[in-house]
Amino acid sequence: MVDCNQVVRGGIIKRRTFFKGAGVTLLLPCMESLGQVSEADSPRRLLTIVNHLSFYQPDLIPQADGTFGKTPPLLDELSDHFNYLKIFSGLDNPAVQNGFGHSPCVGILSGYFNKLHRKNRLSIDQAVADLIGDSTRFKSLVFQAGENLNFSQISWDKHGLPVKQIDSPSKIFNLLFQVNESEKTQQQVLAEDRSILDAVLAQAKSMEKRLNATDRAKMEEYLTSVREVEQTVKRRAYWADRVKPQVNYELEDFDRKSVDDYVGTLLDLAVLALETDSTRAVTVQIPFWEGFKERDLSGNYHDLSHHGQKPEKIEKLLRLEHRILKRINTTLNSMKQRTVGNSSLFDQTTTLLTASMGSANSHNFDDLPALVFDSRMKTAGHWQKKDVPMSNLYLGLLQLFGAELDRFGESTGAFEVLS
Amino acid sequence: MMRLLWMILLVGFLLPATLHAQPSLEQFFTQNCVKCHGPEKQKGEVRLDKPVAALFADEELLETIATVLEAGEMPPEDAPQPKAKAVAEVVRMLQKHILTQRPVNPLKRLTRAEYTNTMHDLFGMDFDFAGLLPLDHVEQGFDKFGEAHLMSPHQVMAYLKTARFIAERVLPDAKPKTRTWEFDVRHFHGSKNFATGGGGDYRDGDDYVLTGFRPYRSNLHFSIDPESHDQFVVPAFGLYRLEVKARSEKSKEGEVIGINLGDGRHPTSFRNIRRIPMPHGSKGFTTKLTLKAGDQLAFTFDSARVPGRSLVKKEHKGPAMRFSRLKVTGPLTEQWPTAAMEAILPKPNMKPLELVDHIALLLTQRPLEAEARQVFVEIARHQKESGGSMAATARSVLIALLTSPHFIYKAESPELADVERSHRLSYFLWNSAPDIELLNAAKSGALSKDPSAQVERMLKDAKSNRFIDDFTRQWLQRDKVDDFGPDVRVFKNVRRMTVESMGREGRELFRHMLENGLSMENFIDSDFVMVNDRLARFYELPAVEGDTFLPVKIPDKSERGGLVAQAGFLKLTSTDFATSPIHRGSWILKNLYNERIEPPADVLINEPDIRGTTTIREAILKHQQLESCSRCHSKIDPMGFALEYYDPVGRKRSEYRHVEELPVEREGTTFTKKLKFTKVPIDAAMKLPNGREVRDLPTLKAALMADKERILKGIIGKLISYAHGREVTRADRPHVDAIFESIAQQDFSLRAAIHAIVAHPAFGRK
Repeated sequence: MVDCNQVVRGGIIKRRTFFKGAGVTLLLPCMESLGQVSEADSPRRLLTIVNHLSFYQPDLIPQADGTFGKTPPLLDELSDHFNYLKIFSGLDNPAVQNGFGHSPCVGILSGYFNKLHRKNRLSIDQAVADLIGDSTRFKSLVFQAGENLNFSQISWDKHGLPVKQIDSPSKIFNLLFQVNESEKTQQQVLAEDRSILDAVLAQAKSMEKRLNATDRAKMEEYLTSVREVEQTVKRRAYWADRVKPQVNYELEDFDRKSVDDYVGTLLDLAVLALETDSTRAVTVQIPFWEGFKERDLSGNYHDLSHHGQKPEKIEKLLRLEHRILKRINTTLNSMKQRTVGNSSLFDQTTTLLTASMGSANSHNFDDLPALVFDSRMKTAGHWQKKDVPMSNLYLGLLQLFGAELDRFGESTGAFEVLS
Repeated sequence: MMRLLWMILLVGFLLPATLHAQPSLEQFFTQNCVKCHGPEKQKGEVRLDKPVAALFADEELLETIATVLEAGEMPPEDAPQPKAKAVAEVVRMLQKHILTQRPVNPLKRLTRAEYTNTMHDLFGMDFDFAGLLPLDHVEQGFDKFGEAHLMSPHQVMAYLKTARFIAERVLPDAKPKTRTWEFDVRHFHGSKNFATGGGGDYRDGDDYVLTGFRPYRSNLHFSIDPESHDQFVVPAFGLYRLEVKARSEKSKEGEVIGINLGDGRHPTSFRNIRRIPMPHGSKGFTTKLTLKAGDQLAFTFDSARVPGRSLVKKEHKGPAMRFSRLKVTGPLTEQWPTAAMEAILPKPNMKPLELVDHIALLLTQRPLEAEARQVFVEIARHQKESGGSMAATARSVLIALLTSPHFIYKAESPELADVERSHRLSYFLWNSAPDIELLNAAKSGALSKDPSAQVERMLKDAKSNRFIDDFTRQWLQRDKVDDFGPDVRVFKNVRRMTVESMGREGRELFRHMLENGLSMENFIDSDFVMVNDRLARFYELPAVEGDTFLPVKIPDKSERGGLVAQAGFLKLTSTDFATSPIHRGSWILKNLYNERIEPPADVLINEPDIRGTTTIREAILKHQQLESCSRCHSKIDPMGFALEYYDPVGRKRSEYRHVEELPVEREGTTFTKKLKFTKVPIDAAMKLPNGREVRDLPTLKAALMADKERILKGIIGKLISYAHGREVTRADRPHVDAIFESIAQQDFSLRAAIHAIVAHPAFGRK
């Protein structure tokens, strides 16, 4: 089966020139494999981007409500896509408490945070993945930069349990594109995994009987997790014999985590994952915390976000934010250039860009911005809101993806995202 | 509202005596609290105009009320004050109710450290599960709390993968072949030159020379083929011996070599695995390491000076490390079949049921529930029937059991059974599973009668180092000492290993106190400090030789001694080049007083507008004026400010050096970041809420010493929460008080405290 791979165009393209080229050169696999969207098809996809440290909103949100007139400088970075953009401001997550440092950031996509219980509620990216993720190799992929800290988990499954957020570009790349050495052993291992999961499930049930109510709830988490892993193993077994897509994309090594290096690479990989139809829902959390630096800027991202209204700090912070939005703009442009099935990747993808805080300077979790890019957008522009749940937008998005729901999290209604 | 009050008064009148007190609680709140915490205002998002039953349902609120009333923090100074007797009565009633709430101790799973140590003790192998098992969530300072142990599909998958990783290595199909590789200067590669001056690595005759420490840039790696830069890759998992011929030059003291795993050419994946002290005059070292297939090795010169960022290339004058030869031998098999193989398969042929029972008991010293055995037996039978070897069959069973709750979770009955008690004790003092002797003591009942002999034995065992290390790492956040800087432009003379030593000081103090039965008062203040060569020099104390920490008596003029005088604490609460009095003050409250402080839920850290303030003091006092912050900050700030005479790396200073960054200068591809320094006088004096003034480190330590009882109880609370795996709250007061009283006769010795915690009846309850 591997033989039917064809090298469309040889040679390795350096990442920096990757987006300048006329799209990706895929080593197209044949039937029954990945990266194969039939020419008549145009599946819907979701790309969710969350910036942990938010944006400096005075430079992002237009003063006026309605269609775009005079636009602020940060937003201008995305002007290539203004026809397809609706920006919401002043959104709120009523079930996310203030205080406790960065911890409530875990609730940005679910609209929920309870400091006493680490369990959360279904997040929008996973809700959509549950709808559109059945036929691909991965139901969804979640990328984040940096180590998993207490407050970095943003993606939650339907049981309120954390979804794995992969933090290393090389791990992501290998997961997507590296072929396992021996598929036969792979199948044996997966078969053994299944019988092991059956066994531990049975043991957990017999142990559960002896536990009190609190501990039974803990054991329920284990049982739920094992059942979910069973699904993943099944999916893996199904895909194990199928040829993995190959791409001419070389990961660049970097020892400095900057916008171009880290954010750029994660976004590139997100696009590749969607383009090869490895998944239809990708979530990217933009790097944060101390390690994120630019070589021509002193200070790190987190420190700059606590600007204390000092103009010189805001100026530096804005330089970072401009760079981030510029990079997102590049990604959206490259999605326009890539064709999958019968339309461009941009045409197939709804992109949600939001932030975990209203302002990282004051650590508030209301006054949230959300940007939605969609090729089907009928009215572009700014929708000014005040104290309206973010979940109303999420419910609107879910309905776009075909969900027959009238409630999501704390929603009080549904936005009509496109009209 | 009035109607409700009448109702309650009426009900109170009719109910039995125990409830009589409640209406007066309501009265107290109505008279003293509801003005700010009621229908009109809800300061701190707290409302107290609720029926008592509703208030009592909120345990956390109840604790807060009791705490602020008891400390006299509420009502605030400018409000009318209730009678002291009334306050005392209300606190007594609240406390009585708090005590009736039995704290829950939810089911705990093994932490990554516990898992790793348990595998080591069972199978005699040093596994590193860093890339396999996720990091544990830290709740209230410790990762051992069941409350915080959330399970997820990702975690289960990680357990499964880790189990397979272990099984394949402890039960290999064939004896691994031991090989030897020798390398010399022809095979060595380094990072040549730093982008900017101040050092570099180079080849010199028969040696390869490292001059600087930059874990990401400066390192020595090696290839089998001298012509190639392809790094030597470890071929198979196992124990390897490294024999290194190296020596330092232009150095008058001991130096340190780091052994790192990772690709030396693309250093993002570097992680330090071991530091090897090289005493002055040393000609090399031999060490053994457990390595994985695919691992790559690199050496760094960890005690080198951090090179500056000057643009001018200067010739290196400082100490250098010369490497001349390296021999790698492995995987070593000291015995075959290995001890692990013999432990798992004591007989050449075992029936499926026998095998399952044996491995289940081996892993947790507890048998599997009868009804759960069959599924595991099926796995063994299936493996056997499809022609699997005995080792393959045992591997399958081992993977299944290591993934099961039987192994992952710590089973605890309401009253701990003997084996469970031995587990709690061994995961407390060894951070691992019990050994045979402890198990036997538990089974014979000796452990529950008098645990002191076992505790003594365990503390004397080297495995107690894991407790000392793990507890102090989390309690004192030792691993965060080097999270920031130090910025080499500001702190020119602070060497890397000095910062590393700062991170060890807290642990070494704890160890010394534990080993010598010293009083816990030494955490507040002491007449000695624990220092090695570098730290002694940093503190300007009489010289100490070598990397090992020793107690040194403090000269009269020095203010050191006690945790708050440790450079590690002073540094970890600072940023790159500024101290943070708030971090320092809140660290003291959280970690010494064991107080739970968090920003109140309704307060945005109100975009502090700190333009136009020049010193940290002004900036902070400005925000302290906000009423919402002042309750906690009236305690936090004075403690933090008293430490302002100590700079961000913990050195004494007499004035602030205000650092300002000038705009970045760009020259071609090089960027220069310049700094401007201004000197500002320090004003550290402030009054604590009780009126006591603190103005510097000595007066702060005196104030802490005056609070000795509260602080020692706070530290006892930390130890109990680590041992029991749950947060210690006000409901545990009688427990904490009992420990405190019982060790008063022994001068509050740390060792006695640990004995008392294990001997207390609560240690035997879930």
